[in-house]
Amino acid sequence: MSTKWILLCLLVIVSPIVALFFGAADLSSAELVQCITQGCQDPVNNMIFWEIRAPRVFVGFLVGAGLAVAGATLQNITRNGLADPYLFGVVSGAGLGASIATLLFDSKLAEQLGLIAMFPNLSFSLALPFAAFLGALFAVFLVQVLASKTFGSKTEHMLLAGIAVSFMLSAFSHFILFLGEPFAANKVIFWLMGSLARVEIWYAWVMLPVVIVSVAILLLYGRHMDALLLGDENAKTLGVQVTRLRILSLAICAALTACIVSYCGGIGFVGLMIPHIVRSWLGVTSRIVIVGCVLLGGCFMVWVDVLARVALPSQEIPIGIITSAIGSVFFLLVMSQRRN
Amino acid sequence: MSSSCSLIAKNVNLKIGQQQILSDVCLNLDAGKVMGVLGPNGAGKTSLLKILSGQLASQHSVSWNNKALTDYDPMSLAQQIAVVNQLNDSVFALDLYQIVRMGLLPHKSLLSRQTSEDDKSISNAISRVGLQEKVKQSFSSLSGGEQQRGLIARALVQKAALIILDEPVNHLDVYYQHQVLKLLRSLAHKLNITVVMSLHDLNLAANYCDHLCLLNEGKMVAQGTPEQVLTSERLQQVFKIPCEVTQNGQNAAFRVDFYPPDEVEVDVIPAAEHSKK
Repeated sequence: MSTKWILLCLLVIVSPIVALFFGAADLSSAELVQCITQGCQDPVNNMIFWEIRAPRVFVGFLVGAGLAVAGATLQNITRNGLADPYLFGVVSGAGLGASIATLLFDSKLAEQLGLIAMFPNLSFSLALPFAAFLGALFAVFLVQVLASKTFGSKTEHMLLAGIAVSFMLSAFSHFILFLGEPFAANKVIFWLMGSLARVEIWYAWVMLPVVIVSVAILLLYGRHMDALLLGDENAKTLGVQVTRLRILSLAICAALTACIVSYCGGIGFVGLMIPHIVRSWLGVTSRIVIVGCVLLGGCFMVWVDVLARVALPSQEIPIGIITSAIGSVFFLLVMSQRRN
Repeated sequence: MSSSCSLIAKNVNLKIGQQQILSDVCLNLDAGKVMGVLGPNGAGKTSLLKILSGQLASQHSVSWNNKALTDYDPMSLAQQIAVVNQLNDSVFALDLYQIVRMGLLPHKSLLSRQTSEDDKSISNAISRVGLQEKVKQSFSSLSGGEQQRGLIARALVQKAALIILDEPVNHLDVYYQHQVLKLLRSLAHKLNITVVMSLHDLNLAANYCDHLCLLNEGKMVAQGTPEQVLTSERLQQVFKIPCEVTQNGQNAAFRVDFYPPDEVEVDVIPAAEHSKK
């Protein structure tokens, strides 16, 4: 194992543990160490540790890993280093699906129409990611169709199609939220900026299987994904069933993005930045990129969340603000590198 | 790779929209031979190669090893036929080793790992094309000739019995042109691999191919040995320029010279008119 991988593994072990020490509540280091090793003695500390901090770090890791893997996969199948679930409209599609689910099953309008009474057994918490998944699927296929039929399949054209779809679907979802709620600004801000502030541990039990299954499938198809990097024609001559692989990969991107967006809102640019860093640091073949993205993406999000919690004294910054701030600069750097 | 392997195409037709690209093209090639596909621009060379490699549907008109290409599943077809396409830049910086390793893909299931045998076959293929010094170099930083040889090494790792190449010496200087063609000829004759490639340079085709087929406007004009195919009258008829074919002594190098007629100012004829003529 090379030094780089050892460093990354150390980062994965150390980051979540250190992140547990940061937060609004004043927990001393001794108390935290006790909570980790023997269990907390004070019930309030116990609650803060097990119901707020630990879930947040765990879910944060999964969010970063999932978004980075979705970005890397999109970049591989489109052969476009600027692809990202946020820029390609997948996040907006998931947001639209989630907004429709909210309007139909969890809003004042739904209450007035009697929809909530009609489906008393519907678990909204699970319907939400499913609706987001359908929305995300719709977005990825819309971008693919627009890019190939209308704009052309060049990298820049695909990006334009993605941005157009992203704006269009965001407009729809915000309109839907305003329809359903008289005071929908909070929800819109949540979708726009993303947040880990309301994270609960059961989010992880929905995200974890999606991330594990997605990563496992992508690792299995690693050689096939590598062949796609040489273009569709070359991949076909190596026996790869290109259309089937592309649909599978897009569905995986949609599933990963949907389960993250429906619980944590739109968090941008992680899927753009992390795969780039992994490629230049660890290597470009798909299996390396996917594993690297899980580890580095997870750590990155854990640290961004720490920053979101501690940057301002008495309030939290929505996490999407920080990722977008870092990501947009990164995006410009990548664009200028491509130009050179 | 037995000697019974052969490539047979019967009445290959291809129509795209209203345009007839190929009409009733037939050919038959024995294993271990090098075939050059010749013809002016738009004659249908690339389309024919795509049909012979199974990239374009051929309705059972092409068979390899006594089995129609349409009866092969994608993986088993890739185990038999390797394609070296005109090169596109890879987006991410894959190195030569990673590109050559892709040849293993048709022989691996999703769960199988790369074995020491595979490592050996990759390094043998890279040595055979003389690129052992460049293994870790980024593929896009290699010269055109090295990239072509790298892709041929990938075809060797693919253990294909038939290698199809679309204009393999395009954009290469004279040294690399000969180097690549010499390599392909020695692979065919020593390893019994069948090689089919499209070429523009008739002199190279005459001197490196065992079998030639000459296409014009989607039709097979002639096929056979270079002596049979390359006659001055036929080339003049196909390429619309007077030419002379010479061969100095038995087994000596072929030479095809074209002479643009004096009264025609070739420079001012637009390309479209040239093809209409």
